[in-house]
Amino acid sequence: MVQAEYTIKLPTFEGPFDLLFHLIKKAELDIWSISIAEITDQYLAYLHSMKELNLEIASEFLVMAATLLRLKSKLLLPRSPKNLDQDEDEELFEINTAEELFLRLEEYRLFKEMSVYLRQQEEEQQKIYLRSTGGQKIMVLNRQESVYTIWEGANHLSDIMLRFAEATKTDAYNPAFSAVDDFIIADKSNYIEMKLLQMKRPLPMSDFITVDGLWEVIITFISLLEMTRQSKVMLLQERIFGPILVVLKENEGLKEEQGG
Amino acid sequence: MDRDLQKRTVEALLFLSEEPVKIDKLATVLSISIDEAEALVGELKNDLASARRGLQVFEVAGGYQMGTLPELAPYIEKAFSEDVSSNLSTAALEALAIIAYKQPVTRIEIESIRGVRSEHVLENLLKRKLIKISGRKEGPGRPLLYNTTPDFLKYFGLKELSNLPSLEPGGDNLTAQEKDVTDTDNAEEVITESTDNNINSISN
Repeated sequence: MVQAEYTIKLPTFEGPFDLLFHLIKKAELDIWSISIAEITDQYLAYLHSMKELNLEIASEFLVMAATLLRLKSKLLLPRSPKNLDQDEDEELFEINTAEELFLRLEEYRLFKEMSVYLRQQEEEQQKIYLRSTGGQKIMVLNRQESVYTIWEGANHLSDIMLRFAEATKTDAYNPAFSAVDDFIIADKSNYIEMKLLQMKRPLPMSDFITVDGLWEVIITFISLLEMTRQSKVMLLQERIFGPILVVLKENEGLKEEQGG
Repeated sequence: MDRDLQKRTVEALLFLSEEPVKIDKLATVLSISIDEAEALVGELKNDLASARRGLQVFEVAGGYQMGTLPELAPYIEKAFSEDVSSNLSTAALEALAIIAYKQPVTRIEIESIRGVRSEHVLENLLKRKLIKISGRKEGPGRPLLYNTTPDFLKYFGLKELSNLPSLEPGGDNLTAQEKDVTDTDNAEEVITESTDNNINSISN
């Protein structure tokens, strides 16, 4: 009950290095003069207080705890007598592992300080307001520019889509089939169906192309595709670039006739 | 075009541009030398200051930009009540500091220095366009490499990467230091390149 009166505020740490660094600073020590045993105890004490407060402890903190304990135990273990003559080597090895930790801490400290510098810069810079037209800028396509500009510097598909939408508005953008009205295709489809019914046999696609020109070919082809989709006709082609034969599907008799 | 008109043109260009304007861009527009252009910008800077105007010209991300004075920030915020851009997290700043000095750098390298996983932080920095993926490191797994962007310089009001304070030599690990220097040099090249692109896009 009384506890509820207190608000306990533990500083949050970005990671084990951050915590270690904090402990070293608190002890007013230099990284190179810390005692592994002491820092390990303090580190574990902090983790304990976190546990008592039911705070979640990230796995990285536990890994560091294990590392510290390993370093500490190495320092505590008596050296075996047979290694006495290799005392110096042994010592060097011990220092090396602790040194590795110090080096890592030192490196972390440099970047930690740099992040403080960046924070100051951030605060300063945020006080300066720049001219901005607001909203998302969309690159306008000039005549000299290629469509490639649409992709340039775009980080998201949505950027590209926005720019593309803009480009289709400004340029004389002409989708290939915008003029293919539904009724033209319906018209052609009717014609194809009537002719097939009349002739009562499969006909090559070329028979339905009544006018010269590419447009007529396109319309005929689209109509046939649409009719195929609707299962009205079947398209047969025996070899590549061979004539495309159009078979009316509703009349099975036609096929048999063809077969016989 | 007399000099006075040139200076006014510089002012107008800096006023209009939303991005830093490179000095050679100004020089080309005015058909003057880069030295002359720099002199004009310098004068404009002084003019604004001595006339006690609300605007200033400053150098950032390899170019010049016009902005408001920092001391006016409280009033500007009051007037526009815009969503004040949220500050970066401490984790993000740590990661950025590492990338800025060690670029190009992999996620593992960043994590090993920070001692914590940093995927999430990097994702956010990518989203904010403060860093970019610059390629893959040769070797096992071909991990992605991260670099800072021109936006990074703009965000922190830095002229160029070499303007970052030098990392204090910590102990006698000279080799590590040397490596930092070369890495930063490489990164600078990358940055200049992309700044070029930026300026191009303004002119379009």
